[in-house]
Amino acid sequence: MLYSRGLRRIGSAVLTVAIVVMISGSALLLGSDAAEPPVRIPSNVAWTATTIAKASSGNPLRGLIIARRCDRCHGREGFSSSPAVPNLAAMDRLVVWKQLDDFRSGKRSSPVMQPIANSLSEQDTADVAAYYWMMPIAPDPMDDRAFPQPLPDPKHEAVAVRLITAGDGSRGLPPCQACHGPIGLVTGAPSLTTQNAPYLLEQIEAFASGRRANDINLRMRSIATQLTEEERQALSESYGAGLAPSAGPPAR
Amino acid sequence: MPNSNSKVVLAPPPAEEQSGGEVKSSARKMIRVALISITLVCVWLTVRFPFQAESGLEYLLNGPNSVNPQTLHLRGEFVESNLGSTDDAGGGVTVRMIAEQYLFVPQCVVVPAGVPIRFRITSADVVHKLTISGTEDQIKAVPGYVVETRLQFPRAGVYEMPCHEFCGPGHYTMRSRLIAVPPEAFRNLSREARRDCALQ
Ligand code: HEC
Ligand code: HEC
Ligand SMILES: [Cu+2]
Repeated sequence: MLYSRGLRRIGSAVLTVAIVVMISGSALLLGSDAAEPPVRIPSNVAWTATTIAKASSGNPLRGLIIARRCDRCHGREGFSSSPAVPNLAAMDRLVVWKQLDDFRSGKRSSPVMQPIANSLSEQDTADVAAYYWMMPIAPDPMDDRAFPQPLPDPKHEAVAVRLITAGDGSRGLPPCQACHGPIGLVTGAPSLTTQNAPYLLEQIEAFASGRRANDINLRMRSIATQLTEEERQALSESYGAGLAPSAGPPAR
Repeated sequence: MPNSNSKVVLAPPPAEEQSGGEVKSSARKMIRVALISITLVCVWLTVRFPFQAESGLEYLLNGPNSVNPQTLHLRGEFVESNLGSTDDAGGGVTVRMIAEQYLFVPQCVVVPAGVPIRFRITSADVVHKLTISGTEDQIKAVPGYVVETRLQFPRAGVYEMPCHEFCGPGHYTMRSRLIAVPPEAFRNLSREARRDCALQ
């Protein structure tokens, strides 16, 4: 009798301790991280060492074959045939990898690109990223790669140059070149100097309105919401026309 | 014959049957209870439920104020829908911010004036230092850690919050804004408007 009561007591003590540990543990976790549902996750990509290694492991020769599926829109060497479609030549492979992953997960929506991204495996994505990363952006008079850009409005030049090189401290706007190159490069930020102006404008508008919201930790949305209509126009024009300080392909 | 042997052991004399059975069944109960609690503890240690920043094991190893700077947007208290001013269960207000090259996000936060605010900040990359205009407060944001401070803004108004630690080429424009409003006005603001006043 004594023996069994002792056992029962030990049993209930173990159970009590376990319950207390569980409850206090989850209370502590809940208390410190009371994230209000619904939790919004901008992108499934995080720039951990593993992800960077995976995104940089592509084989450009395999990519060359996969990229034939993209020629129709993004051009044979990564210069697109329409101003609304982005150029991919020399684009940082981490950027291509992230954007394709975001299309696949639906974090960035595009009726055109989502099904295409869905048809690519993770390895295909790394391979095609490695291929475009190697495409040259130097002007070549013998081909018709570069899409003719609209000439920028001269009134816009000063506005754009100031925002690109100096930013605007009174609004907390960092210079574009601190993140997009050539002065500084934030992981996952594409070089903008060889991009099509109408595409750039469309993306800035999309970040500002929240239609595109796949930037990690609100980086581009914070900036785009603060730009005026004129500034958006000016910035996309001068980046599109290649007037902005040239970045060249990022060294990575 | 082992079979007949075990039969003998399993059939004790009638006098002892009751208490022996009790010992056995409560021992079995205890084992069951122990197994259940061990399972529960193991689950707590290893599984990361959706509402948790880290599993129990990570929590015990890292302590409550450690975060992974690369995955702030994926889980835990610094996911973007939880940034800015939030109401605590206890009735207070907590402000959460991320410092990153070259922004503090959200870029504009609203707090009630005259009320102590719990302020939690971390960095997504390098060390930044948040300063608040008109006050002596300097809050260091360190990647991997959550720095918690209590702040109080006696007067309603707009406070500028520039970065005071060189963090790269975009450092000189790195600043955020804090708007302290009377507590009644704060209560009437929508969750979105509190989270980031730059969005409207
Ligand atoms: C039918 C035309 C079409 C095809 C084919 C196509 N794309 Fe696209 N792609 C687009 C458009 C349009 C966009 C811009 C989407 C938007 O507006 O958000 C885009 C965007 C992208 C982006 C994002 C670029 C940036 O600057 O953020 C990447 C990366 C990309 N495509 C890769 C590919 C790859 C790789 C393939 C081939 C496997 C491919 N695309 C095939 C039309 C196409
Ligand atoms: C704090 C760093 C930072 C600054 C400053 C910054 N950007 Fe960005 N930008 C990014 C990042 C990171 C991305 C990639 C977002 C993603 O992951 O989808 C991006 C993406 C973009 C895109 C989309 C490009 C594409 O190919 O899809 C455009 C357009 C853009 N930025 C324009 C600008 C302009 C114009 C400025 C200056 C006013 C600027 N950015 C300043 C970090 C920055
Ligand atoms: Cu800083």
